[in-house]
Amino acid sequence: MSGKTSVKPFTKEEELLLQDFSRNVSTKSSALFYGNAIIVSAVPIWLFWRIHMMDIMSSLVLFVVVTIISTYLMAMAYRNTKFNLKHKIAVKREDAVTRELTKKLAEDKKMSKKEKDERILWKKNEVADFEATTFSIFYNNALFLALVIFVSFYVLRSFTLAFNYTLSVGATAGLLALLSTGSQ
Amino acid sequence: MIGYARIGVIFSVLIAAVNCDSCVRPEVSLKPFTTEDATVVTNIAYIAEFDLKCESGSVNNLYADIEGRIGPISKVGPTSYQVSWVEEVKSAKTGDRVIRLFDEEGYVALRKAIRSGQDITSVEPLVYVVLNHPGAFTGPWFRSESVAVVVGFIIAYIAVSSRSKLSS
Repeated sequence: MSGKTSVKPFTKEEELLLQDFSRNVSTKSSALFYGNAIIVSAVPIWLFWRIHMMDIMSSLVLFVVVTIISTYLMAMAYRNTKFNLKHKIAVKREDAVTRELTKKLAEDKKMSKKEKDERILWKKNEVADFEATTFSIFYNNALFLALVIFVSFYVLRSFTLAFNYTLSVGATAGLLALLSTGSQ
Repeated sequence: MIGYARIGVIFSVLIAAVNCDSCVRPEVSLKPFTTEDATVVTNIAYIAEFDLKCESGSVNNLYADIEGRIGPISKVGPTSYQVSWVEEVKSAKTGDRVIRLFDEEGYVALRKAIRSGQDITSVEPLVYVVLNHPGAFTGPWFRSESVAVVVGFIIAYIAVSSRSKLSS
């Protein structure tokens, strides 16, 4: 009997709680992160092609490889930043969400207190998730583009274009991925 | 007697020729050019091409006095002349540049004034033309990449400060 209870699947609340605290993101969130990461990683190609006058055809392989690596690192940065921010945002928005939902659900007399609390928790999680996702994308994109422009135009100006591109995009994405692993 | 008469005739012909040569009430139509894009050049070119028409008489040789620099003017057509010079981009003056034009007679008076140490501006020119140089474009005040970096860092600063606000 005890064996049966041990394989009992998680309840919906438990799954929600686990998801709430896990580093894993939903497929939808993951697609959003990778979609954004590939766009922002490909933007420097235009910069090096049209502004730095780098030949696009002869450097195609380099562009593709660096963009793939940068996409992976940026998606990692988005994920980690989101994870770090989600709970902080949840705490910040808790009062407002609770107040709003309590007011909305006050009229519904049939709903139990437990269900109301669950709804508040679910809403709080949804709000925090959405805000953390969008803010994480904005934060990392802003830093990535600012650093790529600065590094490619000023720090690595005198180096060859291929080296400049690889290092400015690769190192910036790497730096952001590294910084995102910090807890602050 | 015959000899004196001959000399008299020659003088009178010469005087007539000189009188014929001097230009009366000249009219000038100017086609000016100055370099206005100095992003890839080191010197500014000033070119004044003009047609000189006289009510009576004509001029063969013209001379120019451009703010103290005196020299002959090249003839590019029956009544067209051209004067040009270059100046360093940094020292090129903007605004109106006055070119005083002299015929042979005026040029002689000008040389005389120089020899005797007189002020050459006191010698009246045949006519003068004004060449306007509005200034040349030497490039934008700020390079576009600098503007991009500044804008990028402002947005990054907003992102970082909002994050620290959320984390606090």
